[in-house]
Amino acid sequence: MIYQAAIDESFPVAEPPTHAARLRSADPAALAETVGHYQHRLYRYLLRLVRDQASADDLFQQTWLHVVRQLHRYDAARSFDTWLFAIAHNAAMDLLRRRPGESLEDGEFSLPARGPDALSTVLAGERAAILADALLELPALCREALTLRFEEDMKLEEIAEVTHAPLSTVKSRVRRGLEAMRQKLRKEDIL
Amino acid sequence: MSDHESVRQLLALSAAGLLDAGEERLVREHAHECAACAAELDEFAALSAGLSALPAPQPPAYLLARTTMLLAAEADRRQGAAFAGAAAIFAFIFVLLIGQTLRIVAGDTAALVWLLWAVISSVLGAASALVLASRRRLERSIV
Repeated sequence: MIYQAAIDESFPVAEPPTHAARLRSADPAALAETVGHYQHRLYRYLLRLVRDQASADDLFQQTWLHVVRQLHRYDAARSFDTWLFAIAHNAAMDLLRRRPGESLEDGEFSLPARGPDALSTVLAGERAAILADALLELPALCREALTLRFEEDMKLEEIAEVTHAPLSTVKSRVRRGLEAMRQKLRKEDIL
Repeated sequence: MSDHESVRQLLALSAAGLLDAGEERLVREHAHECAACAAELDEFAALSAGLSALPAPQPPAYLLARTTMLLAAEADRRQGAAFAGAAAIFAFIFVLLIGQTLRIVAGDTAALVWLLWAVISSVLGAASALVLASRRRLERSIV
């Protein structure tokens, strides 16, 4: 009977506080828990977008500050992940637009020079490094779409929400990004 | 556009898992018969798998602590602002009540002197609070 009561659906079970609730509290431990939960994913996303550690650090802190200040606008029915990444997207785009020579949509795609024996010396780790380099050479919006799709494993609709772009535009960015990477990696005999 | 060309446009999205069921079936059926598209699809699939398996860059060790401190300071600032706002409303009501009482007990002149004194001391107090707050913000930004 006791066990039955314990597993009964009507038995009240305290739900853990949501990330939004933790951020509303001024408790440093609760804040650290939520920031810590997202730090690897958010940092990777920002670093892929802005490509330098100092800017990614600044944007990371700026994003969380903005999240705390805009928390009253957060709709709990929506995904917190998507909302967080959308705020990070806005902050990163502001920075990239101000950066001279940065291409958001178009750009000449070029891989860093490799030795002629690249194919023979490509090991798993090096292949990953080459792929990461190739990804970073794409225009910002294409590498963002690929990062959200493959590293964040986001669905089409979620990517569209984060980037404030129509579904067709997201598809086009993913396709162009993959095609550019494939062509370039084929030229380098890596695919 | 031929079937071959229209399907080729879908290969990258198929590897990315972004096609609907109908488009995906079209790609699979075509790739079954077209060796060139099958090879291209394999390359996109390998590329997609590689991207999914990229090692994640590690955030610097200080970033979590620094961000948490920043957010705690922001929460502290917001609480301070809310407290200051409530205190200002309370002081305003208090000054008006005392002024009204003085007017009844000691006349208009006493009430006017009280209100002038309250206004001057409030302005000076608010200015001091603003200076202290901006100095505190500066000290936090240096730390």
